[in-house]
Amino acid sequence: MAKESFDKEIQFLRMLVLTSGAYNRQQFADRLGISVHTFDKTIRRLKDIAGTVQQQAAEEQNKAITDMLRTSYYESADPLLLFLFRSKSLKESESYRLSLLIAALQEQSLTSLELLELCSEGMPEELALPDEKTIRSDLKYLEQAGVIRRVPGGRPQKYTAHNDFVSMLSDDELSDLYAFVDVMANTQVPSVQGYLLRDSLKKAMKRRHLPDGASDLFLYKYHYHSRILDEAHLYTIMQAIEARRRLTFHYFTPKSNRSYQSKNTNPMFAKQSEGRLTEILPLKVAYDHQYGRWYLLGHSSGRSGVAIFRMEGITQLEESGLVSEDEYVTQLAALERNTRYSWLVDMGRPVAVKVRFFNPEGGNRNFIKDRVQLQGQWGVITEEDEISFLFEITVNGTQEIKPWLRSFGSSCEVLEPGSLRREFIKEWKELAAYYEPVRENLQLPDDGTA
Amino acid sequence: MNLFEKIFNYRMMAQLDEHGALAVTAQERRWLLMMLEHPDASSAIEPETLDRLRQCLCGSDEPSSGHFRTIIIEKAGSTVSSLYHPLMGTLRRMIVKKSGMQLLYTRKDGTLLPRQAGVPYKLEYSMVKKEWYLLWYNRRTRSLMTTRLRSIRLVEDMPVSEEFFNQAAAALASQLEKRTQHATIEIIPAYNRELSRILYALSCFDKQVQYDEPADTYAIKLTFLGDETEYVLSKLRFLGLRVRVTDHSYMKYRLREAAQKSLARYGYAPSAIETAQHNNGIMPAEAE
Repeated sequence: MAKESFDKEIQFLRMLVLTSGAYNRQQFADRLGISVHTFDKTIRRLKDIAGTVQQQAAEEQNKAITDMLRTSYYESADPLLLFLFRSKSLKESESYRLSLLIAALQEQSLTSLELLELCSEGMPEELALPDEKTIRSDLKYLEQAGVIRRVPGGRPQKYTAHNDFVSMLSDDELSDLYAFVDVMANTQVPSVQGYLLRDSLKKAMKRRHLPDGASDLFLYKYHYHSRILDEAHLYTIMQAIEARRRLTFHYFTPKSNRSYQSKNTNPMFAKQSEGRLTEILPLKVAYDHQYGRWYLLGHSSGRSGVAIFRMEGITQLEESGLVSEDEYVTQLAALERNTRYSWLVDMGRPVAVKVRFFNPEGGNRNFIKDRVQLQGQWGVITEEDEISFLFEITVNGTQEIKPWLRSFGSSCEVLEPGSLRREFIKEWKELAAYYEPVRENLQLPDDGTA
Repeated sequence: MNLFEKIFNYRMMAQLDEHGALAVTAQERRWLLMMLEHPDASSAIEPETLDRLRQCLCGSDEPSSGHFRTIIIEKAGSTVSSLYHPLMGTLRRMIVKKSGMQLLYTRKDGTLLPRQAGVPYKLEYSMVKKEWYLLWYNRRTRSLMTTRLRSIRLVEDMPVSEEFFNQAAAALASQLEKRTQHATIEIIPAYNRELSRILYALSCFDKQVQYDEPADTYAIKLTFLGDETEYVLSKLRFLGLRVRVTDHSYMKYRLREAAQKSLARYGYAPSAIETAQHNNGIMPAEAE
């Protein structure tokens, strides 16, 4: 059977989340390179999944899916986007059978024949009855996934659910573990397995009638939800890195070509035919906290040798040829050398940046300095007086650090390099012009702008 | 390891739920084991429990071949002093139990306030400041308070009726609702090719996007709480020339001021500053 690909769902959801209602059906479908019919079908399927996962009331299910994604923004630490990973297709008879097997093994150990009997009794009439071979292959799958384990001892082989680490915990311990998993899934990367585990622990608590799981006690502010979608490729990539294998994929650059006036060319989601077939040796994955985006870093045999890809543009990802350990080590060392001074992933020439930060006036707490120390990566504060302090950092190119510096507004003055200083002056002039009051133009009819 | 496992399928999930059955995969356990290595695990979980968990998880699965953690590099993150605060467990249990509390904490300027009575509501983590906050109901002022966990000196149980607790929680929910603000951000069409970057940067906010096809223009309506305005402003300065606020007078005023004050730092001032002063008198009245 062909491997089920979720590229379409991933791109679809990413576009839904990022553009939140901007496009009508036709525009949306055009930008993804699919038909309106496919669009409708996908929406129906996603709603079906979301409805089941969230166990919403019927009226909730009628909400537009964009609204469902919106409301999950702040109040809930339960990311709706997780449903992407719940979308693998599965026959009804199979899901019924597998869940019967898992349920039967919760608190006891049974042999495959005992399970066959249980299953035959438990299956609804309209579904096909399983045979022994099917049950054996189900058990093999569940064992591989780690959901059940073999019980040591003689034949016939017995199986049981692999939940000891939960069942051995007292109620208080389980509550603590749940809180820990909640915090880690929401604040660390990678997060998807954590969210999945959180769902399971929540159910375990429900079974024990513990109130903790019932509501969200924790809120997390300023989450980048779409990072969850990027994690879809993470494990394929990490496995390839572990195995020293190359990867091939079709890449869609998020930047548009120069003709951005063309209406049909959405910079984010170019049509499939425009994807570029790429092969690289993967070396690292990078998570960028500034935008909540993942990158794949590697080595390509092309001109520059260095390859950086945004995870969101990667589709049809597959492993390919092996490389020698020597080559891997050499390329990894080169990459580490090149990214040592990357604010994000820029591998340009290192530049020494020197800026002066100004302390807040009359404030009690120096939140400017706090923030510089929190976010300034490897930069150092070199000089300090009562009104300001100097911050110095060497970075690859100035492009990536620039938005961060600009976000400080007038609390930051760029001193070096001169080129960056000039860019800041130019941008602040243009920004000032964005907010020139209209009133001024009215007062000065002679300047030709009125 | 594959995140698209049959076992994660949504129908599977619903059926397992019906049976009250628990299904945890090896990859979830490996993730947990990896997270238990975090230095803060010992603040979150009792040492004895932590040991048992580690033992159980280590022994139960094939050891992960990978050092997955070393493959991931994190960029532009913040240094985190501590992810867990010692009071989190206490406060969490109080919220779950629907208990009231007595709180002793210091204000931002460091002064210690007299004991306050109230009801804990939620614990909130700011991914930006890397800081935990307690959202709570102040019984005296009947209002929503946000207090850094770091500033809390002492918290003690104080029984309240469940009815009171629920009323307080409802009052807070509605106060939060009232603090909601909107601002419309227009993407300057010349930067449409950077749409993806801009939307990613703003994806941490509750937002709705409108697209005007004939004009090829995107307008983003952000919804946020009043006290988040500073953070929204810093994001807008972060994006620079790519975006412009169209409808929020106070934010427009602040961005204009930031530009003018910055120019003054670089020695480009007089006329700009004059305009700023000229408008200083007008803007507050217009500000929302």
